[in-house]
Amino acid sequence: MFSEEGQKELERLLSRYPFKRNALLPILHLAQKENEGWLSEASIKFVAEVCEVSETHVEGVISFYTMYKLKKPGKYHLQICTCVPCCLVGGEELLEHTESKLGIHAGSTSDDGRFSIEEMECIGACSYAPAVIVNEDYYEKVSPQSMDQLLTDCK
Amino acid sequence: MPVFEMDGKPVEFEPGEKVLSAAMRAGIKIPHYCYHPGMSVVATCRMCMVDVIDMGNGRPAPKLQTSCSMDAVEGMKVETKNEKVQEARELVMEYLLINHPLDCPICDQSGECVLQDYSFEYGSGKSEMEYSKRVYGWRDIGTFVALERNRCIQCTRCDRFTREITGTNEFGMFNRGHELTVDTYSDRPMINQFQGNMADICPVGALTEKEFRFKRRAWKLKKTPSICVGCSTGCNVTIEYDRNEVFRLKPRDNPEVNKWWMCDLGRLTYKTLNQRQNRLGNPLGKTGDGLQEISWEEAFNAISGKIKELQPSSTEVLGLVDTHASNEELYLFKKLLKQGFGSDLLCFPEPDWEQPVSDFFIDSLITSDKTPNRAGARLLGLKGEKSVDAVLPKLTSGVKVLLVLGQPFDVESLQVQAASIPLVVNISAWNSGWTQTADVSLPGRLHAEKEVTYTNKAGRVQRVQTAIRAHHKTRPDWMILCGLMEMLDVENQVDSTESIFLEMADAEQGFKELQWEELSSDGLNVPQTLQDPGRTEVSELSKTA
Amino acid sequence: MIEETLVLFKNIRNPDYDKSLKGYKKSGGFKALKKALKMKPEELVELVKSSGLRGRGGAGFPTGLKWSFMAKNTGKPSYLICNADESEPGTCKDRELMLKDPHQFLEGMMIGCYAINCRHGYIYVRGEYFPSIKSLNAAIDELYADGVLGENAFGKGKGLDLTVHTGAGAYICGEESALLDSLEGKRGHPRVKPPFPAVAGFNACPTTVNNVETLTCLPFIVNEGPEAFAGFGPPNNAGTHLVSLSGHVNQPGVYEVRMDVTLKDIIYELGGGIRNGKKLKGVIPGGSSSPVLTAEEIDVEYNFDALSKAGTMMGSAALMVFDEDTDVIKLLHRITRFYNHESCGQCTPCREGTHWARLIVQDFLKGNGNERKMKRLQRVGGNMMGTTVCALGDAAAMPITSFVKKFPLEFEKYYTQAAA
Repeated sequence: MFSEEGQKELERLLSRYPFKRNALLPILHLAQKENEGWLSEASIKFVAEVCEVSETHVEGVISFYTMYKLKKPGKYHLQICTCVPCCLVGGEELLEHTESKLGIHAGSTSDDGRFSIEEMECIGACSYAPAVIVNEDYYEKVSPQSMDQLLTDCK
Repeated sequence: MPVFEMDGKPVEFEPGEKVLSAAMRAGIKIPHYCYHPGMSVVATCRMCMVDVIDMGNGRPAPKLQTSCSMDAVEGMKVETKNEKVQEARELVMEYLLINHPLDCPICDQSGECVLQDYSFEYGSGKSEMEYSKRVYGWRDIGTFVALERNRCIQCTRCDRFTREITGTNEFGMFNRGHELTVDTYSDRPMINQFQGNMADICPVGALTEKEFRFKRRAWKLKKTPSICVGCSTGCNVTIEYDRNEVFRLKPRDNPEVNKWWMCDLGRLTYKTLNQRQNRLGNPLGKTGDGLQEISWEEAFNAISGKIKELQPSSTEVLGLVDTHASNEELYLFKKLLKQGFGSDLLCFPEPDWEQPVSDFFIDSLITSDKTPNRAGARLLGLKGEKSVDAVLPKLTSGVKVLLVLGQPFDVESLQVQAASIPLVVNISAWNSGWTQTADVSLPGRLHAEKEVTYTNKAGRVQRVQTAIRAHHKTRPDWMILCGLMEMLDVENQVDSTESIFLEMADAEQGFKELQWEELSSDGLNVPQTLQDPGRTEVSELSKTA
Repeated sequence: MIEETLVLFKNIRNPDYDKSLKGYKKSGGFKALKKALKMKPEELVELVKSSGLRGRGGAGFPTGLKWSFMAKNTGKPSYLICNADESEPGTCKDRELMLKDPHQFLEGMMIGCYAINCRHGYIYVRGEYFPSIKSLNAAIDELYADGVLGENAFGKGKGLDLTVHTGAGAYICGEESALLDSLEGKRGHPRVKPPFPAVAGFNACPTTVNNVETLTCLPFIVNEGPEAFAGFGPPNNAGTHLVSLSGHVNQPGVYEVRMDVTLKDIIYELGGGIRNGKKLKGVIPGGSSSPVLTAEEIDVEYNFDALSKAGTMMGSAALMVFDEDTDVIKLLHRITRFYNHESCGQCTPCREGTHWARLIVQDFLKGNGNERKMKRLQRVGGNMMGTTVCALGDAAAMPITSFVKKFPLEFEKYYTQAAA
């Protein structure tokens, strides 16, 4: 089900733990990556088999953690932090600005599939607030203006 | 045994036991939701908190402790009735009720709901919650249990059940925080065969049995301890009924037999107890015009008359019995044949059967032997036949009198041969193929309608009590057999279950040394010294709890 | 003028530092590991005990003591798990270490593994820390390639493996027993204790969980000795610590300071004072879980004991500063929203309490506040203290009760004009 590289990584992950189930969280990340950023029913079935757990268990794990997605995100997934330190220096305003700029609310994807917004709890860049993660990259001390530039750069 | 103090009273405990478990054994009530003796401890409901004023080392605990997770220590002093504990219980009750819907008027659990009971006993009686409660959608999760997620108090007993007890893992927790809920995966239904237990262990009406849904209020039900006769395990149950109609069976705790569980097929046997159409309600006699209702006197006269006419020798009387018959009935049947006719020709059906092998104890509750007393038949030394083919030759070897107790063997295969036997008598609760074949049919009773004992697969003798009234023209099978013995002038002093049992325990090696007084509704094991090949040790049945 | 005391940040503050294995070795790296390997594990435990090192994750539990709790002779493997979940709002110090000087941290991790006889150590990094995960994995690959990790890490035939395990977005997985459940591939629900992780932790084996910064202190302690480490602060508060300074200061950032520096000094000297010339209103000194301090209360040494005496706590040393223009109730709402979102939901007081408390503060923001509701907030929030399975209940309770106590007038701003 995975690409060749993904299969290699899967085997590597399984070999690092005493029990297959212990590798569930990293393997779900891998399955998500292999499936354009979300987990389908087929992904869940595959992961359940590989880790030797029930599908209910996998679904329970997915619903517990915030990073596992059951819907395809945008090409650029904007994760905007509005937690306490970012909130103090304009994180919530940054989120509102981005939402109105793109015409979508947090939790949704733009119609052209280019952007999706997620409101985050503390992402650990507090001294460099406001902070945003785009896919896997951190952007720090983001102002509404630099956000506009960022959006333009994301083609 | 070591001792700790609770509310000034000494409480004995086993080393390694938790405070809550020891207190419950001593009869002290500590409210709890998530704790269950058969499953792992999670200590999440926080209802069982107690004040440990001395941890066993002279110092108090810094804060209230959950008694379900706290190891009992010699010299510990615990208080469960002081103000701190009361406040803590009020707090938990208040928090549980802020999202719990006021469904009591339409909820099956009402009347046997732990949340209701504790709310009344420990709650503050008022709510300060002014905002909307959280609401979940509804979904059908299968044929046996109904799930109402709004009522769930997140005790996680059901999640632990499918993980630790059945190992089927089809039920689990989803989401987190105040949206934490339980469900099956996607739109899959429940798959395990013990779903009724999930309704039992659910402290509220989130999981309820569909069979029982909306049928009767719990407080109207009368309860009688009994056993399930659906298979040879003999799970201890309570028959719950109202106005002579049985509404459900619920398991009773018995660590030696079924622990806290029973299977769903067993629960469904309650329907059998309500079936009136196929029951034999009156003695029947065969005449030229077919079967006619006759009186008991007429029935016995017909039988004794025919016997006098036939004068059968000891090899011309055959007895067939099925293993739904109780110990007392099997014993009397054997006695009737031996002392009434000198006959040793008696057999019962004993097809091959397997013991399930599983890592989970609960799987061992369902045996492929669907009769409750095969072990009793073996202990009494009766002969088991694997198939009906072995019985055919017996029927055609010059038998003149055939006595049939119950519905043994496939009567269709034996009908032709049986029809040629001069006298066939059938004693049974049911109107079956044997009734059509028999010259005289005598109506017996089901296990819930009489007081008898059964021996389960592991050699445990268990007593059932009369729960519902049978048709007044029927009689307990053991009483019918006593009547037949009297008719044949067989010496018989026994005329009650107790006296029959005592005589059986005296006469039969298999039941030696068993005392009637000790046969409470929990049952008693047959003496360990006996080597009965049909027995299976309870300890062999499971590797897990 | 106070300055940073550079122990852990020695390399990071050097603009020419090469953070590869080669660069780390050049700056004196892995001398400590060599020295540690000449000692017996028990001696190493005693050394760390005498240094007075206390956990830098939030609880401040003495590290050497924690190591000594490990159950011995169980026949099961022992595990050292590094808690790099860093999700406490305000905290961003561990990422500095993992990003900018990964080998220093990994050396500390290796020393820790040696001390408790761990054969395979795991580093539980929160899933959002993509850059740190990449940095650590690259550094670990270097170590394997160089033979520092692998079959003969601790000598011939005495190996060590390290694996970076990614979390998936749950603050509660920073709690030690929830982290272990998450590492085992389950939902991150904190466990009932006892049994403690030192007896039955990861896969029911003896386990110790240590924070990134705690382990990074180990090379210095082994190289320079316990007395040198203890000398950076008052008794019982040994070493330097990394402070994540954020909020309304001119120079937010992560600073390494001695334990006898005051809160005031950190804010005004290192942080450059309040931005835009505003006045200070209040400070959350140790991550959002710690009780808030008003502007009048900042003359306190920034260490475990002094802050505890002042009625608050050091926690993860995340200092959030807010100025006079801050709407305190909005801030409190954001905090209660955070705990509501992150509660795992298994125990009654936290599951219902975090949600209810948030609804009450939201009610205030809508302009429906009154004194009765304030008392209710105090009660609902306060009831989560000491009644829950894990410390998240306490962590949610403390900001609520401290805000109500310290800023009552702010609440009155949102009292309804209509009759109560």
